[in-house]
Amino acid sequence: MSTLTLPLMGFQNSFITTVIAEIRESFRAKWFFLYTLIFGGAIVMLLALGITESQVLGFTGLSRLLITYIQLCVAILPVFILITTVRTVVGDRESNVLEYILSLPISLGAYYWGKLTARFIIVFIPVLLALSGAVFWGAVKNLTIPWSIVGYYSLMLASLAWAFLGTGMFISTLVRKQEWALGLAFLVWLTLLLFIDVILIGVLLQNQLMEEVIIGIALLNPLQVFRTGAILLFDPELSLLGPASYVILDNMGYTGFLFYSILYPLGLGWAFSWLGYKIFKTGDLV
Amino acid sequence: MIKLSNINKSFAQHQVLDELELELKIGDRIALIGQNGAGKTTLIRTLLGQYTAEGQLSMFGLNPRQQRIEVLQKIGFVPQHSPPIQMSVGELVDFSAALSLTPMKDEVYALAGKLEFDIEEQAGKPFFKLSGGMKQKLLIALALSKRPEFLIMDEPAANLDPAGRKAFFDELSLLPQNTTMLLSSHRVDELLPFINRIIEMDCGRIVHDQQLADEIKAGKSLDCKIQITGEGEAIRKTLDSWKFSNGSNPGLYSGKLAEADRTKFFIEIAQFSKQIKELKMEAE
Repeated sequence: MSTLTLPLMGFQNSFITTVIAEIRESFRAKWFFLYTLIFGGAIVMLLALGITESQVLGFTGLSRLLITYIQLCVAILPVFILITTVRTVVGDRESNVLEYILSLPISLGAYYWGKLTARFIIVFIPVLLALSGAVFWGAVKNLTIPWSIVGYYSLMLASLAWAFLGTGMFISTLVRKQEWALGLAFLVWLTLLLFIDVILIGVLLQNQLMEEVIIGIALLNPLQVFRTGAILLFDPELSLLGPASYVILDNMGYTGFLFYSILYPLGLGWAFSWLGYKIFKTGDLV
Repeated sequence: MIKLSNINKSFAQHQVLDELELELKIGDRIALIGQNGAGKTTLIRTLLGQYTAEGQLSMFGLNPRQQRIEVLQKIGFVPQHSPPIQMSVGELVDFSAALSLTPMKDEVYALAGKLEFDIEEQAGKPFFKLSGGMKQKLLIALALSKRPEFLIMDEPAANLDPAGRKAFFDELSLLPQNTTMLLSSHRVDELLPFINRIIEMDCGRIVHDQQLADEIKAGKSLDCKIQITGEGEAIRKTLDSWKFSNGSNPGLYSGKLAEADRTKFFIEIAQFSKQIKELKMEAE
């Protein structure tokens, strides 16, 4: 076998092997059970509570259910992804699993990107299943199904999940102790949470900061971008959100912001995961 | 085959490998000894391409960092501590087999069987839930079944029961003569039948590198003088057992050693290295 084809074959082979192994492992993990319970259970709970039949600010039916689900996802999904992902590399390193796995002929790229891909599948499947369950329920109950909203929302969730998976993997390669990784994950999440719209209003009022700075911060915060984009699907005037969202919408337009809310977190996830890979590949592996 | 030249590695300003020079040839069977912190594990991890280090390192003419797949295809490794891998036994075997270029699955089952570990029986059990000895047997079977050109084992027999040890050593003795081995162990005495070279590390350097076969065959003997410090009851007992005697100077022992026993002697007194002030050996 030529030395040119061997690494390529090695990458494909070890990438698929890693993805399968990681998915199998995650299915057995307690965090995955809890995660599925929360995101699947949330939909079941919302349906059981009859939320599709209530009406708030003009939203009813499946739209009402989805808007509530969004609030839940903004609050829980990023922190859940962060605290489970930051332990991926550093956890394997601390427990000496990495020493053994990387003594096998596995490409570093295949190991890293295989783990990330598997995590993405694992994180996204329960959310997607929950959404599909809600749509199925809506169909059974003869409710109007907002297909475009479900589609956009799924894309946004995928993009948000990728952003925080990338950030989590970056942190996981950056630190050498799991405690540090968890601490850093919470710090990132709290910082992003601090800079969502409601807090930005306070900053704007108290410090009289330039509007451009506030808008810039809002546009850089994937939580804010997701929140604004998700609400925009239901409320094109953004009457439910704060001033930063309103100004963003004014500048970017409805379609422009919807694209941005999908592409920006996706780009952020790629950037951080790539940085994480660079750190992983160039430093000590164990 | 494997050449390390001027290798330096440090962690947080602590030098762990210090201008290390080492060359391993095809068929070298090495016992790597040294106290904790001597640099053995760092050396092994450097050979596996897991640590970056200053200096030149060539494995089979390749760089283990840049051509890791090609290098690691030729290496079988058993770590000192079995890691808490979450995969089931069957999945771990499949995982290792999928990464190997040579078909090895049947061989793993057969080898594990010889080590008295039934993979089929344990296939669904998570690896981390196996006993220490079972984990070690499976990792040994996985490493040997690759038919590696270079076998690296860090305390391979530490967790094995007597029957497992015997089966393991039997398998070691069946490996092809051109298999190069690096075996790190605190019980080198039981490795002596399988090794032809002994390397001792201390403070990140190789302080003793001895080819065994030729000198042992020659049947020479050595005059040995050893100056010890302090009370050291244990070292005195050890020297007594080697029929060493001390004269007017209570810390100075002298005796004769067969060349064949040189390594065994070194291994026994290595644990008292801090109490040894001076050691002289001269061929008769």
